[in-house]
Amino acid sequence: MVSLGFRNAARSVSRLVAVTMLGGAGVLLMLVMQTIGRAVEAYTDALQRSVDATLQVRAAGSMGHVNMVGQSDILPSEALDKLRAIPHVAKVEPYLLAMTPTEGHNFAMVVGFNPGDTKRLESHGEAGIGKLVSGRDLTEADRGKRVAVIGQGFARWAGIHPDKLPAELTLDLTRTHPVIFALDRPAAKLAIVGIYSSGYVFGDMQLFLPLDTFRDIYGVPRGLSWLYVKADSAANVPLVERAIRAALGDQADIIAPTSVAEFQTTTTRAVRRLTAAGMALSALLLVVIVYLAMLLVVRERAWEIGTLKAIGAPNGSIAVAFLAEAFAYGLAGSALGLFLYLGVGTPLARQAFALAVGPFLPAQYKDTLLEVLSVSAALDAEQLAVVVAVVALVSVAGSAHGLAHLVRLSPLQAMRRE
Amino acid sequence: MALIELRSVSKAYRKGRAEVWALDGIDLSVSERGMVAIVGPSGSGKSSLLHLVGAMDRPSSGEVEVAGQRLGALPEKALSGFRQKTIGFVFQGFNLIPNLSALENVMLPMEFAGVAPTERRRRAEALLARVGLEARASHRPRELSGGEQQRTAIARALANDPPLVLADEPTGNLDSKTGQMIYELLREVARERTVLVVTHAEALAQMAERVIHIHDGKLVRDA
Repeated sequence: MVSLGFRNAARSVSRLVAVTMLGGAGVLLMLVMQTIGRAVEAYTDALQRSVDATLQVRAAGSMGHVNMVGQSDILPSEALDKLRAIPHVAKVEPYLLAMTPTEGHNFAMVVGFNPGDTKRLESHGEAGIGKLVSGRDLTEADRGKRVAVIGQGFARWAGIHPDKLPAELTLDLTRTHPVIFALDRPAAKLAIVGIYSSGYVFGDMQLFLPLDTFRDIYGVPRGLSWLYVKADSAANVPLVERAIRAALGDQADIIAPTSVAEFQTTTTRAVRRLTAAGMALSALLLVVIVYLAMLLVVRERAWEIGTLKAIGAPNGSIAVAFLAEAFAYGLAGSALGLFLYLGVGTPLARQAFALAVGPFLPAQYKDTLLEVLSVSAALDAEQLAVVVAVVALVSVAGSAHGLAHLVRLSPLQAMRRE
Repeated sequence: MALIELRSVSKAYRKGRAEVWALDGIDLSVSERGMVAIVGPSGSGKSSLLHLVGAMDRPSSGEVEVAGQRLGALPEKALSGFRQKTIGFVFQGFNLIPNLSALENVMLPMEFAGVAPTERRRRAEALLARVGLEARASHRPRELSGGEQQRTAIARALANDPPLVLADEPTGNLDSKTGQMIYELLREVARERTVLVVTHAEALAQMAERVIHIHDGKLVRDA
């Protein structure tokens, strides 16, 4: 009966052509929507992998620089262990910060950190990560030693030449500046073992030294200026932010890179909803097409169905033939849809995204997405599986009404319906 | 022993608000083997009688028993099994499936009965040979003449070797010469089973061993 069903689909060429064309359009729309959804998800995934999922934690209302006017409050040392215990926290890097005047109103940053941790330039790494251009980097063995790595701008100001390393640099903690107050500490001599460059003026005005050395020089036995908390994924940034808030309460300010999380929760969700709605609509279109086709079949072939019943066909066999016919219509439409998709899928997906999905995206992402989205109509096994599954479901859904009707009829009733 | 027993069988149809009695208190007994003709004018109820015996329809009242089975007591699923094994239908319009060959049409009832494909083919070929159509086995119905189509339909009716063949005006769409040929074929079939033929052609009916006359839903003569 399966073979009969497939052969029945070819009995009316005009119907087969009409159903194939309409079904092909539905399948093409479905695949285009799926492509857009997948492209946006891939873009979000790539963003999640590449962007910094690091939060910065400071003492509330303070820049946390130990010698900065009005900004010298720092976090308690216990904060470090509290934050390390938070789920989805991959790493916590502590910084201690001070400022040192250079020329006029300018100043450089002095950063105490654990050798091996990231040397972030500027407050949140806006100037990137410095690249060593001369000498060596700090290592574990440098902990507690009076050694440092300096930015090339600061080195130039201090008269340190890249070819003459190690060089000596003296930090005078009594020097002041409109925003820097003097510390009653002795001057500290540091051996500069490396020079880095960031290509960014302010980023090159920093000095990195071991955290213990910083404590010794600046007389800060406890406490921390900043804690950099790296979440295990961009998606978990909001979760980690809430946990930090719960752990430290009002004593801390948190600066979180929420843009990615926001992107994920808004854009990806919006596109996913829109593409899912598009796919559902195209599946519905297919159901309607198959439904109408099968309704015609029931009307046209009532006598034939009655005959089959009269010669002993059980309802199950008739249903199998009926479903096979509906499935054949679906497959014919899918074949055309897939063919069109491979031919015009990519430009169509781009157009559909720009016209149908783009307007619904949050304004700040719309243009960026349109520019960078890599929409490609390549066909894979997953998409094929989706199409076959949809066609199977559509066949059942589209045939259900006609089938239920047929099953109820006696052979005589079926024959008289002609 | 009777193959068919009808006891006080009536059948009413609704025609708008009116109720029309197609059959009215029919009592009938038909024995195994032989050809029985049911004759009567158009609308007399002869086809309705055939449909009730073939489990194509249910009576409004009374009891229909065929091959020892009370059809009124059988659920729909059992009725399709009954039609499969007990009845072979021959229709006035042949009712062959248009996109199947003659051979495939004959094989179809055997597929429903669960006969293995090779056995189906063997039996179908033998049946087509019996009705003289072995050379036309691969032809579709539209490529066959009316007589050939009806012979194919008779072969199909015999596919599951049923004890009863029901023929509803089997010559109605055929010329008299071809009709005569079909009747002879049915008479031959009736040597080994019961053939119940509905017809309004008195001349052909006279070829049957028994002729039952129906008028206005009642049996008026049984000879």
